[in-house]
Amino acid sequence: MASWIDYTINGLIIGNIYALLAVGLALIFGVSRLINFAHGSVYLVGAYTGFVATTMLHLPLPVTFVLVIVVGALLGLLIERFGLRPLQGYAHIAPLLATIGISFVLDQLVQLTFTATPRALPSELLDKRFQLGSGTIGALDIVIAAVGLTSAALLYFFLRFTQLGWAVRATAQDRDAAQQMGVDVNAVNRTVFAIASGLGAVAGLLVGMYYNYIDPAMSFQATLKGVVAQVVGGVGNVPGAIAGSLLLGIVESYGIALFGTSYRNLFAFVLLVVVLVLRPNGLFASARQTPPEPMTGTFIAPSKPFVLQPRVLLGIAVALAILPAVYPDPYIMQTFTNAWLYGMLGLSLTLIAGTVGMISLGHAALLAIGGYASALLALNFGIPVGFAILCAGVITAALGTLLVFPSFRLRGHYFSIATLAVGEIVSLVILNWESLTRGPIGVSAIPPLSLFGIELESAQSVYWFTFAVLVVLVLLQFRLLGSHLGRVMRAVRDDDVAARSYGIRLDRYKALAFAFGSFAAGISGGITAHLYSYINHETFNAQLSILALTIVILGGMGNVTGAVVGSVLLIGLPEVFRVAAEYRVLIYGIVLLLLVRFRPQGLFGTV
Amino acid sequence: MSAFNRRHFVGGSTALLAAASLPGSFPAWADPAKGEPVMMGVSGPLTGQNAQYGTQWKQGFDLALDEVNAAGGVKGRPLAYVFEDSQSDPRQSVAVAQKFVADKKIVVELGDFASPASMAASPIYQKAKLVQFGFTNSHPDFTKGGDYMWSNSVSQADEQPLSAAYAVKSLGLKKIAVLHLNTDWGRTSKDLYVKAAKEYGAEIVAIEAYIPDEKDFRSTLVRVRDAKPDGLALISYYSDAALIARQAKQAGLKLPMVAASSVYSPKLIELGGDSVEGMFTASRYFPDDPRPLVRKFVAAFKAKYGKEPDAFNAYAYDTVILMAQVMNQFGFEREQIHQGLAKVKDVPSVIFGKATFDTATRRVNGAMNVELVVKDGKFQLHEGSIPTR
Repeated sequence: MASWIDYTINGLIIGNIYALLAVGLALIFGVSRLINFAHGSVYLVGAYTGFVATTMLHLPLPVTFVLVIVVGALLGLLIERFGLRPLQGYAHIAPLLATIGISFVLDQLVQLTFTATPRALPSELLDKRFQLGSGTIGALDIVIAAVGLTSAALLYFFLRFTQLGWAVRATAQDRDAAQQMGVDVNAVNRTVFAIASGLGAVAGLLVGMYYNYIDPAMSFQATLKGVVAQVVGGVGNVPGAIAGSLLLGIVESYGIALFGTSYRNLFAFVLLVVVLVLRPNGLFASARQTPPEPMTGTFIAPSKPFVLQPRVLLGIAVALAILPAVYPDPYIMQTFTNAWLYGMLGLSLTLIAGTVGMISLGHAALLAIGGYASALLALNFGIPVGFAILCAGVITAALGTLLVFPSFRLRGHYFSIATLAVGEIVSLVILNWESLTRGPIGVSAIPPLSLFGIELESAQSVYWFTFAVLVVLVLLQFRLLGSHLGRVMRAVRDDDVAARSYGIRLDRYKALAFAFGSFAAGISGGITAHLYSYINHETFNAQLSILALTIVILGGMGNVTGAVVGSVLLIGLPEVFRVAAEYRVLIYGIVLLLLVRFRPQGLFGTV
Repeated sequence: MSAFNRRHFVGGSTALLAAASLPGSFPAWADPAKGEPVMMGVSGPLTGQNAQYGTQWKQGFDLALDEVNAAGGVKGRPLAYVFEDSQSDPRQSVAVAQKFVADKKIVVELGDFASPASMAASPIYQKAKLVQFGFTNSHPDFTKGGDYMWSNSVSQADEQPLSAAYAVKSLGLKKIAVLHLNTDWGRTSKDLYVKAAKEYGAEIVAIEAYIPDEKDFRSTLVRVRDAKPDGLALISYYSDAALIARQAKQAGLKLPMVAASSVYSPKLIELGGDSVEGMFTASRYFPDDPRPLVRKFVAAFKAKYGKEPDAFNAYAYDTVILMAQVMNQFGFEREQIHQGLAKVKDVPSVIFGKATFDTATRRVNGAMNVELVVKDGKFQLHEGSIPTR
């Protein structure tokens, strides 16, 4: 029993930390309807500002706090002014992507300045500890709780009783109406970003001191946990975000207590999916809150697609098909092979996200399912590789659709967050289900790619094989989009209410699209497994999901040609920038930002 | 590859180290190396999650190259390397592999860092008959990828029994709780550790696996406490070990901790502060090691970088010294290096004392071992133990 008290206290302590992040995210979402993926980067900058202030400049703690808040707030203003303001009036997807780009740039700048080596962030002053339960609680724990609660109280006061606060709430409720009533929406946005980012930066400082540990990789994890916590509490709901954070902390802690440490995140993400499916507005949403606006349609930029003539496409395809015969450089072959494999992933996501309007942030999970299915079929049952890959496609289609099915009723951001969680869950199940997947050891000695018993030895033959598979999938998808079925899918995307009133069963069409898309992703994962000969749970990581989404946006939502071109560019560019070594992720982030700013509908436009 | 590329680190000699004599086959009076450099290809992380390890590699490589090239390089030509950033991502490591195998100037490949990235590239190196020298790849299946996969990474089958012996025999622990990183390395190590500890007569009362980006261990430690161990075994890197020690202290858990040698880094003490005081660990070497090679390595490292070297610095350093000797003895053609690795004997090594490959496993056995304890904010010998193997 005493242990359960300890587990509860520990859960509250860590929940406390999540709350600092979740409050900022909730504020921004409340006003801008935006999940700010750059929030973790502001948190990172806050931690390093604190590091510079305390260990290099030796400033006293209160000065450090003020400095961190100011730097965070200024950074928030910059992000709002130059990253997001220009995107007003763009589809909702544009600012979401911009925040991803901004986070790449900020994280990489921090890493270039301070190197990737972890640093200590000591805090002598806050090192006092008091006995509580069988453990101790530190002054820092209390400070963290105090900062969380005070900021929530101040926010409450600000939102309730000040004129600017009313403006913030009015903007959150209905942006256009507020603007018509004379509210300076931009000023509201600025204020919110400054407050949220100041808070985020302080969170970074406090957490860094708490663990005496900061490194540039802390940003992504922070965003992830913050997003989970605020969605559990109800997006855009500040008190809900705090409650959601504490609940998340406790659930994780009890998860550890019951099943062991390696199940911790599994619990976090399962909680998220359950809450999303059962109470999409969060556990603490009031009943009378208006449902989230239907964001399909407005979520994706409509545009006139740029259509390549079939003759031109055929010409390009023929040129690419004879490339290995003319210029068989293995490095070029490998890079194109990678591009074809990610092209398949792009096809998959462009159908699901672009054509049907379900933005998936967990697409890497489909690659992983395909990869493991094909590898294990070939290894454990001696199934020929070519057939194993085909089976992997079918298995991925079935399993992928089944996993996401409960989330089909969600819209816009909510669906994206659910897929993010499903992606993490798949990765954690692979890690923990040792009897099937061999856990962290991974699957090695996967038989190499072969067709009808002939091994594809050379880089050229692998190129031709992957290119041929891609061409088949492209033709299938063109056929699908041109059919009656494709039209129905676009109708679901453009206006699901209208589609439903025409008697279209949304779930069935979403499931069909998801199954078709998952098949392509599963094939890609299957080929990858045989190409690499070794995979483990890290081979297909969450960054691939972001890459897949970037490919799709770059090419144009729902655009088949675009997905392939996007893949060639995004696989090719980092290779071209290889000369720039440490700077290439930075360049990548900037390119992404410019793209979102100047061509949000992608190179080839939405179909 | 472009002709001008700032990331091609052509090793130059520094005045500071020009006088340093080299062990083994390098004559101390040789002229500095001249002419077209002999190129090694390095595939590793310079950006992304594991970027810190790539940085550590570079420091070790550069230090070793200073020495090698001041003492005549390889057969009179300077030794150098090209570092291609793979972010330790398999998609990029396979592209890098194709680049290296097609570039006839590259005579041997070093890396990659993580197993998925390294082992995904193995089939390409194997087919092209270019040695892939995975000097940090402890995955038991790495060298099974083919006869061109070699590694001088410390075998966990060697290390873990030593670590278990330290805990059970030297420190007298009877009931051990094991916390391990849930990666291929941590998992393999844990299995070997548990087996050895049981053989020595200890009981394993709890096993907790955690993922690499875990920062909060409080609840894990409650679970560990309830299993009533008399000591903790940490199969961790220095960053996690520091976090665990710190939170154990905060939770009021006062138990001896014995950590794997991977925590041996000045960073452990920087990050852990006084909470790592009293932590037991082992290492392949330590700064006051009586071995001349180690003294020279530590002194030269401090002179060049102003800090103590850690394990990854040492692996990288050892690897370049080894390659230089192989090339000097057997030639620097790709195939000569492949065959030379099987033939080379007793290469001076910080990690192994003297390194010789077991041609069946293509790995080196018998790493040096010293038992250390953190005392007064420093790694010190545990009760006057001496390096053994």
